[in-house]
Amino acid sequence: MNARVLVVDDEPQILRALKASLRGAGYDVDTAETAEGALTAAAVSPPDAVILDLVLPDGRGTDVARELRTWSSVPIIVLSVVGDESEKVAALDAGADDYVTKPFGVEELLARLRAAMRRFDATPEPVIDVGDLHVDLEKRLVSFAGKPVQLTPHEFRLLALLARNEGKLMTHSAILREVWGRAYADESHYLHVYVSQLRRKIEPEPARPRYILTEPGAGYRLVDPS
Amino acid sequence: MRARLDPVELALGALVGAGSVTLVSIAVAALKPHMPVLSLGVLYVFAVLAVAVRWGIVLAVVVSIASMLVFNWFFLPPTRTFQLQDGANWAVLAVYVVTAVVVSALATSARRDRDDAEQRRREADVLAEAAGDLLRGAQLGAELEKLADLATGALGVGAARIELGDVRADEGETALPVDVGLRRVATLFVDAAPDPVVANRFLPALAALLAVAVDRSDLEAEALEAEALRRSDIVKTALLRAVSHDLRSPLTAIVAAADALSIDEIRLDAEDRSALISAIREEADRLDRVVSNLLDVSRLEAGAVETHPELWSVDDLVGRALDSVGAAADRIVVELDADSPPVLVDAAQIERVIANLIENALRFSPAGTPVIVRSEHGATELRIHVVDRGPGVAASERDTIFQAFRRGGGGGSGLGLAIARGFAEANGGRVWTQEDPTGGHFVLALAAARMPVVRT
Repeated sequence: MNARVLVVDDEPQILRALKASLRGAGYDVDTAETAEGALTAAAVSPPDAVILDLVLPDGRGTDVARELRTWSSVPIIVLSVVGDESEKVAALDAGADDYVTKPFGVEELLARLRAAMRRFDATPEPVIDVGDLHVDLEKRLVSFAGKPVQLTPHEFRLLALLARNEGKLMTHSAILREVWGRAYADESHYLHVYVSQLRRKIEPEPARPRYILTEPGAGYRLVDPS
Repeated sequence: MRARLDPVELALGALVGAGSVTLVSIAVAALKPHMPVLSLGVLYVFAVLAVAVRWGIVLAVVVSIASMLVFNWFFLPPTRTFQLQDGANWAVLAVYVVTAVVVSALATSARRDRDDAEQRRREADVLAEAAGDLLRGAQLGAELEKLADLATGALGVGAARIELGDVRADEGETALPVDVGLRRVATLFVDAAPDPVVANRFLPALAALLAVAVDRSDLEAEALEAEALRRSDIVKTALLRAVSHDLRSPLTAIVAAADALSIDEIRLDAEDRSALISAIREEADRLDRVVSNLLDVSRLEAGAVETHPELWSVDDLVGRALDSVGAAADRIVVELDADSPPVLVDAAQIERVIANLIENALRFSPAGTPVIVRSEHGATELRIHVVDRGPGVAASERDTIFQAFRRGGGGGSGLGLAIARGFAEANGGRVWTQEDPTGGHFVLALAAARMPVVRT
């Protein structure tokens, strides 16, 4: 049986394009055009993922995400627009897993959807390969293109967290909490600098990062550049 | 001048009256041996006058009658009685009293006229000064305070304040309406009720003046608003003219490509189809960039840019800028110092600054030549240089090139550099172009932040 995606957007052109693309990619698609419709649809037949516009005629997508999170852990990807970064961050804080910015490419959306829907085992693979990057979680070893890379303990934990969640957006607060501890959840200020230092060790060209991508205002994600 | 005498004033007047009658009596006693005593009675006019000038006609009449009685008692035979030897002397005394009263009345009236003139002059001064200030374009709000201050002097009250419109009085205040016709211009609050005559004269003049000032202030506000609208109209017109081309050409390409793909008679091989599809995608991206530029420039023009500063490394900022430049990025040579200090900026905005400088360099330098992005830093500043091999910028244009809607002739809506400067300045930085014999050379300078202590 195909995975079912609930698409919530009040613009018919976008619904039409997304429906066609998602069906073409092998998903079943439900649609809703309002916040209330979205919550009803999700309750009637729980979807495997939700694509949620942040601006709906009867409310904010952020509130829909928060409401859904009270009873469901379904992956939620929000559609944001340039210039509304604070709303995007609010949606992520409310429990959304990821976002794409309008106008978005279908390829990008499908990649985010796949990453968000991937279930992570409690015991992840001990060895993760992403492109030329090789991370051995058990032996705590990292190599790039076969060459060993020396990381500090915090750098390793940061990289390991990103690698275990390959393709997924990791928000600033989630990274800080996991790597530095709960007390550091608000220090996103410094996180960019820590990440730059990590990049200098693993990225072939630190100024053109291809593995650790910055999502401004939101977080970081590790991707396979190929 | 006062309408009523308070008891202290009255006592003082009586005292002065008694004193001056005594003085005149001494003078009369001194002069008595040298001239007929009856003729000396006229001297009491001075005593009456002294009282009349300050204490008014009522006390003057009292003093004049008293002085005639004193004159009669001490000097007119038989002395020490109020009787007179010669009945004709009564007539003389009566003439003296009448004279004293008439002279007093004249003096009092002269005194009143002088006081009145003085009061009117004070009022006129207040109004003239206020009119001068208001017509010189003083701020109405600030002027009200000064005007209230001046009004205390004119109205003879301790404290006053003026509120525009119809406002309720606080406790212990008297509210005086300042009206022009039926229009309530303002309300004057005073701590004591002023002389109604003065108030009735002063307030209408004040009202007329304030009405003009209020109208003038309203008109000025309207004119300012109209000017702002006119300017934003100019911006809008220029904006529409500048971007209609940039919007229309990608739209045209998209419509043409979509038609070519959907019309049955047009036969396309696989290569043509994929070229048309990538054309649609690329032109749509171009449209998106034009719309973002418009959005940014309108925000910058409106002064509505919010920054969310965080600590970023130069790698990150340049990296994201290169990302957004996209396909042409292979012409770009990046030389960044590994030990650059971080900067405290809004990453999305500074990324736009760098991207726009790079796009500008790409656009104005020959295809195939490199565009170099280089960083340098001192103790307080990080500079990012974007250098190309194009013709560079003429000295005369080094500043105007950053104005919105300047089009260098290389395509683009002419907004990129204006946006770059706007965002740089919003983040406390600067952007400029400088002389360079090799070509165009733009610099972004940002304040260096302190490196945090990294827990590794």
